[in-house]
Amino acid sequence: MAARPAASPATGLDSLREPAEALLARYEQKRAAMLPVLRLVQERFGHISAQAEDWVGRLLEVAPSHVHEVVTFYTLYHQRPVGTYHVQVCTNIACALRGGQDQLKAIAGRLGIQPDQTSADGRYTLSTVECLCACEAAPVMQVNDRYVGPVSAEVIDCLVQRPEELPELGLVFRGAPGLVEPVLSKRFRVKDAESIETYVRDDGYQAARKAVTEMSPEAVIGEVTKANLRGLGGAGFPTGKKWGFIPKDSSKPKYLVVNADEGEPGTIKDRYLITKDPHRLLEGMIIAAYATGCRKAYIYIRGEYATPARILEQAVAEATRYGFLGQRIFNTSLALEVVVHRGAGAYICGEESALLESLEGKKGFPRLRPPYPATAGLFACPTVINNVETLACVPTIIQRGGGGFAKLGAGRSGGTRLFSLSGHVRQPGLYEASQGITLRQLLEAAGGVPEGRTLKAVVPGGLSAKILRAEEIDVQMDFDSLLAAGTMAGSAGVIVMDDTACMVEALWYAAKFFAHESCGQCSPCREGTGWVFKIIDRIRQGQGRPEDLENLLAIAGAMEGRTICVFADAAAWPIQSYIGKFRQEFEFHIREKRCDLRSGVRDRAAQARTEAAEAHA
Amino acid sequence: MPEQPKRVTLTIDGKAVTVPEGTTVLQACEQAGSPVPFYCYHPGLSIAGNCRICVVELTNSPKLQIACNTQVAEGMAVLTTSDKTLQGRKEVLEFLLINHPLDCPVCDQAGECWLQDYYMEHGLYDPKFNEQKVKKPKAIPVGPTVMLDAERCILCSRCVRFTDEITKTGEFGIFNRGDHSEVGLHPGKTLENNYAGNVVDICPVGALTDRDFRFKCRVWYLASADSVCPGCSRGCNIQIHSNREREWRPHIAKGQRVMRLKPRYNPEVNQWWMCDVGRYGYRFIDEERLERVRFRDNGSSRDAGWDEALAMIAEALTRARAEQRLGRVGAILSSHLTNEDLYAAKRFFGELGVTHVAFQRPKLGESDGFLLQADRSPNARGAQALKIAEGAEPILERAAKGQVDVLFVFTQDLVDLFGPRASEALAKVKLVIFIGTNWNPTAKLAHIALPSAVYAEKDGTFTNLNGRVQRLHAALAPWVDARPEWQILAALASRLALEPPGVDAHTVFAELAAREPAFRDLSYEMLADQGAQLAA
Repeated sequence: MAARPAASPATGLDSLREPAEALLARYEQKRAAMLPVLRLVQERFGHISAQAEDWVGRLLEVAPSHVHEVVTFYTLYHQRPVGTYHVQVCTNIACALRGGQDQLKAIAGRLGIQPDQTSADGRYTLSTVECLCACEAAPVMQVNDRYVGPVSAEVIDCLVQRPEELPELGLVFRGAPGLVEPVLSKRFRVKDAESIETYVRDDGYQAARKAVTEMSPEAVIGEVTKANLRGLGGAGFPTGKKWGFIPKDSSKPKYLVVNADEGEPGTIKDRYLITKDPHRLLEGMIIAAYATGCRKAYIYIRGEYATPARILEQAVAEATRYGFLGQRIFNTSLALEVVVHRGAGAYICGEESALLESLEGKKGFPRLRPPYPATAGLFACPTVINNVETLACVPTIIQRGGGGFAKLGAGRSGGTRLFSLSGHVRQPGLYEASQGITLRQLLEAAGGVPEGRTLKAVVPGGLSAKILRAEEIDVQMDFDSLLAAGTMAGSAGVIVMDDTACMVEALWYAAKFFAHESCGQCSPCREGTGWVFKIIDRIRQGQGRPEDLENLLAIAGAMEGRTICVFADAAAWPIQSYIGKFRQEFEFHIREKRCDLRSGVRDRAAQARTEAAEAHA
Repeated sequence: MPEQPKRVTLTIDGKAVTVPEGTTVLQACEQAGSPVPFYCYHPGLSIAGNCRICVVELTNSPKLQIACNTQVAEGMAVLTTSDKTLQGRKEVLEFLLINHPLDCPVCDQAGECWLQDYYMEHGLYDPKFNEQKVKKPKAIPVGPTVMLDAERCILCSRCVRFTDEITKTGEFGIFNRGDHSEVGLHPGKTLENNYAGNVVDICPVGALTDRDFRFKCRVWYLASADSVCPGCSRGCNIQIHSNREREWRPHIAKGQRVMRLKPRYNPEVNQWWMCDVGRYGYRFIDEERLERVRFRDNGSSRDAGWDEALAMIAEALTRARAEQRLGRVGAILSSHLTNEDLYAAKRFFGELGVTHVAFQRPKLGESDGFLLQADRSPNARGAQALKIAEGAEPILERAAKGQVDVLFVFTQDLVDLFGPRASEALAKVKLVIFIGTNWNPTAKLAHIALPSAVYAEKDGTFTNLNGRVQRLHAALAPWVDARPEWQILAALASRLALEPPGVDAHTVFAELAAREPAFRDLSYEMLADQGAQLAA
């Protein structure tokens, strides 16, 4: 018998016992309910006190120090009360390229508070956050659970006057350039696409039926292998191969974990897939579970994605009602239970082993490998982890056959991809295209850079990817072509910069992001990301020193490949590529102690100093 | 027959090494005499792999690999001194030091700090860091015995793993993330488990320091002697750290000699750990000691020399022997004595013809279920192995009935153990001789109190609860006039024309081993620093 938490009537914590125990029942281990139980506490009390941590610790049989670790690790937990409206303004690069800093200043001015402050009346708390992954609507903010954008004077008016009426960000799918028939986005423009009725009407769950009733698990894996499906979260690992690693005979249960912790700056695709076509994901999961022998699946969705999580929950409930989930699926012995698990604000949890740690109720610390998740993943059991988009491809592979799917792509990257375009393009947003499309074609589909400007640089695969110069955009967007071009396909988040973009500024945003998101486990990354940010911050403020660039490159070199996970590599690549490709611009900043970009701003350095002072206040 | 693990041959810096399969590169390097530096790795804890300083170049891998989490493989070639390895180490060290406060002059860890040591051994770079350092809490008492300085911490997580995996008390955590990560306790909690002191031992830097030892003595003034903790019957292997500069620096810790105790690795006994009861139970060594022979007579007392005391005792025993009243002589030995002392006593009283001889344990404490045992003395098992009867009560009963003329009491405070019964019984004995290290009520009742050496002043052996015989090495000279018990008994033996048991602990033990079946085949040489089991 577990020790029951001591009564604490003064705090009302015990009134949460019942709902908390309902959450516990969803997991194989008590501790795994850590994140949802903390969310529950915070929803009730507005913040998580030390006393509440103690209570949660007793409930989950975890030392309170480890509860405190979790509370302080994830950004969505508050240790102190926040205002009625928690205004979280994105200050990452995609928003910054579209005026984010100015809007932050405007919001701060109108609310009369600086970031990390709460208004005297307790109505507003202002925070700056890293990428919300709504870059198509940049600049964006999140007010409590609601995504709002693009932020404009009118939106700020509404925030100040009628915050409850702020409209939730809508989804605008831009199209599928060069595709006869889109795959992943084909239902994005269908009315009520997220409902199971329309999904079933549009032949939904037929692929799963076919796989489960007509194919052997090996045959399913065979098709996925033939399809050249690769991990679309960004690593590009062949999915069929990954499934093949899952032991067939295991005395332990096997788990399917969906990585919906979308967080790579410049990436919006999983939010669209989940919001617009959640059953497609569930169908892919059924097939994956069948192929690998999993009977339980967790969807780990980033904590900020409140609406998508709600939609997913509903889709799971519907699919269960329809008999696509639960016991005896398609009247076979197949069973699959799906739990939607929300994260709590940590980019690193998109790294698969950090995700598993997080799912087990711990800080998102990537694990040493071996063992790999296929042998010892979630709860030390065999686990297959796939990204949302990867799984969303699977129904199509079953329907069309692996060969047909492979042909939609290029080379060893089968199928299409959802490309997120942000920054200096006329039509930012989500596009579906063959992986064989070139970056130039993609930019053209998005309308190119704004009138009167010229393209300067593109980050092709999310903020971690190395930057490409304007003349390097005739590259195909598949994994191998981008690798050959010295960068990576990553999450297919394409961040576009025109000639008004300052590369020091761009690297400052990247460095700020990685310093903020480093989990702090390995010394090179923990110390390196902070150090790099301090140097770039100085350069940006006009206090660069001649040795700075060499030092930055040395630090990047000492971080790359020296840590448990590839986060440090991802933090190093922008440093190496931005300086490597735009060195003169950095040297100019250091030598002249100012920026000559940005029209109308003579003393950029002075402005940067002011901004930095405000941002750090 | 257990299956022999497969053996793997690899080369380390060009030298072929064969180790069992499953060995890590770090362990193999150590065995091959090419040790690699490490912070987070601790053989008693799970692998964290976070500090990254144990990186080595493997010829078949493009990236440097951490030695602590890489298993050896057939044909693997490890380079621990290649340029790439050395550079990688240097870079990690620089990362670890950029936010470190470099407050070495006021840091208690200075002199035994792995940051200092590795900087001298593997660093010696020109620092590049020229920014503001991250500020974190300093000098935070996290419990009665441990002080935390979060700025000095390199976040190796050893302390977190210790309280998770060894004590399972979970006090420590690492909070926040990135370069704001800091080690600490849950708000309002304190570090109060009986093994708290070990986190100071395993902290490779000055983040966790011992509040008892802090600022008492610079570590380079310490001398070290291997010994065994006398705090309970577990017999944890320890080092006694004493102030070797005491003569020149008498101000240090008010002239106390012992500065601290540290656990010493013994896989058969205590692994790497010791409990706080043992760790901080050293003060008796320098406090309330019996310094000189003391005679007490009708309420007055005076100091005396050994000769006078030994002559007097010898005379009393000679008379008892001549008058055939040895049955009215008793000896209460103690489980605090070494095997050598106990043996000398057994032999002395036996040859003299005294039969009322027994050993007494101190009051039982509570076992903590890990190392600390209820028996708070180190050598009851040794006394048993020497077939000495246990328990002072029969002798005290005889004394109470007026049947004892001369009574030897070693170390134990009978008054504390048996209350007024003991003082009343002692009052009926004509000559009470207390031989002990510290003043206690029983010592004060004795007609003659003889100062004996504490374990830290002795060479000798204890036998732990599992029958492991382990060596003590004298860390200190006996205090003032104190002598080891075997030596006192040897002196008495000479005066009574009996053969003394030996000229030093070594020869006493050699005789013991020759004559006592339980100790056969044992010698100081074979006990070495890890001890050996009694014969079955």
